[in-house]
Amino acid sequence: MKKIERRDFLKMAGGAVCGGLVGTTFSGAPFLGFQWLVEWSQDQYVPTRGEEKFANSVCHLCGSNITVRKIGQRAVKVETANSGCPLCQAMLQLLYHPERIQQPLKRVGSKGSGKFKPVTWEEAVKDVSDAITKLRSENKAQMIAAVNGAHNTVPNLLMERLVMAAGSKHVYTEPCFCNLSKSAVAATQNAEGTIDYDLENADYVISFGARLFEGWGNSARMNKVLLEWKKKNVKFVQVDTLCTRTASMADSWVPVKPGTESYLALGIAHQLIMNHGKSSNLSELSRWSGINEFSPDKVSAITGVPAEKIAEIAKEFVKYRKAVAVAGRGGQCVSSSVAEIAAVQALNALIAHLGKDGNAFIKACPSIPAGVQYDDIAKAGHNNTRVAKGLDDFIKNGEKVELLFLNESNPVFNSVYGADFVNKMKDMPMVVAFGTLINDSAKYADYIFPTLTIMEVPTAQGNAVAAPRYTSKHGGDIILDIARKTEKVKDAFPWTGVRDVAAIVRDGQTRGVGNFSISTDLLKKHFTELKKAMEESAQEYPLVMIPFEIPFVGDGRSLAFPYVLKGLGHETYSAERLYVQMNPETAREQGVSDGSNIYISSKRGEIGKVKVLLTKTVAPGVIAMPMGFGHAALTKYGSEKGVNPREIMNNAIDAESGTADWWYTRVKLS
Amino acid sequence: MTTMKRLWGMSIDLDKCTGCGACQISCMQENNMPIFEDDSDIPKRVTFMDLMRVTNDYQGDKKYGEVQIAYVPKMCQQCSGNNPDPNKAVPPCVSVCPAVATDVSDDGVVSQIWSRCIGCRYCQAACPYEARVFNWWKPKYETDFKNSLNPDVSVASRGTVVKCTFCSHIWKRERDKMIAQGITDINQVQYTPACVSACPTGAMKFGDLRDPNSPVYEQKLKNDPRAVRLLHKIDNADPAEQQRRMKIKNYPNPKVYYLTSKQWLRDILSGFQNS
Repeated sequence: MKKIERRDFLKMAGGAVCGGLVGTTFSGAPFLGFQWLVEWSQDQYVPTRGEEKFANSVCHLCGSNITVRKIGQRAVKVETANSGCPLCQAMLQLLYHPERIQQPLKRVGSKGSGKFKPVTWEEAVKDVSDAITKLRSENKAQMIAAVNGAHNTVPNLLMERLVMAAGSKHVYTEPCFCNLSKSAVAATQNAEGTIDYDLENADYVISFGARLFEGWGNSARMNKVLLEWKKKNVKFVQVDTLCTRTASMADSWVPVKPGTESYLALGIAHQLIMNHGKSSNLSELSRWSGINEFSPDKVSAITGVPAEKIAEIAKEFVKYRKAVAVAGRGGQCVSSSVAEIAAVQALNALIAHLGKDGNAFIKACPSIPAGVQYDDIAKAGHNNTRVAKGLDDFIKNGEKVELLFLNESNPVFNSVYGADFVNKMKDMPMVVAFGTLINDSAKYADYIFPTLTIMEVPTAQGNAVAAPRYTSKHGGDIILDIARKTEKVKDAFPWTGVRDVAAIVRDGQTRGVGNFSISTDLLKKHFTELKKAMEESAQEYPLVMIPFEIPFVGDGRSLAFPYVLKGLGHETYSAERLYVQMNPETAREQGVSDGSNIYISSKRGEIGKVKVLLTKTVAPGVIAMPMGFGHAALTKYGSEKGVNPREIMNNAIDAESGTADWWYTRVKLS
Repeated sequence: MTTMKRLWGMSIDLDKCTGCGACQISCMQENNMPIFEDDSDIPKRVTFMDLMRVTNDYQGDKKYGEVQIAYVPKMCQQCSGNNPDPNKAVPPCVSVCPAVATDVSDDGVVSQIWSRCIGCRYCQAACPYEARVFNWWKPKYETDFKNSLNPDVSVASRGTVVKCTFCSHIWKRERDKMIAQGITDINQVQYTPACVSACPTGAMKFGDLRDPNSPVYEQKLKNDPRAVRLLHKIDNADPAEQQRRMKIKNYPNPKVYYLTSKQWLRDILSGFQNS
């Protein structure tokens, strides 16, 4: 046998290594290795698959029909078929929000500490109904109160019924155009209902600060109105201090000095009476000597609108057959005094269009038709209740209450009296909040009841899109549960579930407008107060703060959704930086520049820090302030982002609506 | 096998856009956008679509009272590049990709395969529209948010570039449904991307650029005085000038048309105004 030479051995070993390398290369193992490396380093989550199904529902905010795509039991997409509102799209973010309340919570720490423990539904409902029974037995039924969220929902109606049946009249709704215009209708027409503009049929529209296409009213409806106007070439005039998107979409934008919309309305009324022979339709206004204070020159000096423009608007307003004037400044957050809404409505009355096609109607509020037999305790409670005019009036001047329901509402954030409301809640033995997420107000509650999102509520036609998550219940069912556990009160609730109630709720009917009359005292008072607000401490606070909204942020509750945060532009909010808008001229006078950090203060206090964005969309001397930011508590996504200007906004309460008219605030940079 | 005759394109009527943001949220939901601690943080966040607020005061010459604002939804413009033959289209991003992670097919959609991307970000640099985003972090969907993830779109991992694909997974989904019904002609398939189906004013339209009956028929759009393409003032230029600009290397030739009757808005969008 031949001995293997050292050289041959090395050759063979080398050959084996080379062959091995070549083989490994061509075997694909390295590529597989790379793939493992990629998979390991990329670590992708793979969504679970399942059968594709579609379920139908209705958005509770805009009333649009929506179709939800489901994969197995998971809802993955909302289809709105070119209708709907931004919130329809964000609905799944609420349905699957990781911070949704999972079961009834009871406070364990001090009020506002945010420490809660889970309790059973039975225990929680019993505690609340015991509290009602106790107050009733002590003849303190009037010490029960409720604050409803801004929409006319079935739980809102049931909540009102519960509080009334228990013996109190303290039921308030968060301010919105509905309840402001309700006060205006009560003041001018001695009727009950809200103002409903027939915008679809109008041929000339002048809006006094109502940002019609930025969340005002029902946004699904307003989008259709926009298309209708484009088709019919409707003339649209927007009166506003800020150049909003609505103003840019209008045929004509009339810039006014901040807060002077009602002056302009009366200036136009003056023209209609003096130059267009419209005096007979609203005699109290045409006979009023004060109307001479609204001659074009005088109004022009106050509003900054040229006298010719005022005359032109009046001329057009008479010329068009279906002209309408629209009130309600703002988008989703509306703030106007009742006198201002009435003054704008007076224009519609002057041209005798009220109740005609394309003008304003009165819409009754939805109601539950079944009557209630109040027992003696409830009757006594009603007699003892000193009802406040509105929510802000209740917070500031209202009587002490011992049991408060917060029904999908957030007055701590949404009211200019938020801080006072916190103090009020701290003194209350029991506060019960209904909601899906813990918000600024629910943080101070003693009990929090988890409610359903619209995805989990069965529709009139069929099943819910998704099964209720955790142990959440429909707000209406929770109220029925509480009522059924409470002696006597339960007689007013003969239903087994909220579906029975929803089936009989009578929707508000729209009807024509009867006799419209406007009290000149109301106007006098309004203009005296407005003048005072404008002139008072004008030296110390040289700037005016005017609010605006980002349509998909609206009143701010959607900041809890990451997909809404992702949509914010760099000119609004990015990573702890909230931008307020200012005219370059104002910035120069104030010694600030683009991107400066500023603090804003009014006589009520200071907010900051915010950054300056220079833009000529804002009038000189004005700070445009975005609304919806600055939640103290709204999940980890929405909390502590920016500032809430309501802390320093004007808090003078409108005597008619009992709501603070916070639109116009004198401020300075501090 | 039927030949693809369709060339997908989009038009956005800015005069009808209210800036409501429904398109953005719809896009995010459909395409499994990652959720981070603070998604308002613009440099860090991942989103396919920006809703840009623009004003006519871009040269600082307007006064208060003359100012106007508009919103411009901006996503991947699905460029065709400067080769007139759509089968040989080379968008600026496709030509630079070393991993064939992004490509353009004969339907006109510039695709992106997340898992094939090696994260070199050349395409991001080449894109004239900043329509591409890089995933710096691992996407986080806290427990329950995972429930709303769409199985048709893979979750992008850290270290990859992502972008709008005109929701081409919906096209594939619709095509599969048609095939299941026995219809194999892919040119029969119609589909709508998530943003277009969400637009509440119908400002966004989608369809086949070659189909005379589609709302986005290319020949009609090119002659529409209201139409403008982003950074692309060429469609109304004279033929010689068009030829000159066609030779510009990164001439994008996008398939998204913006419509507006406002001259200032057309000036801003088209760019090139001084060239």
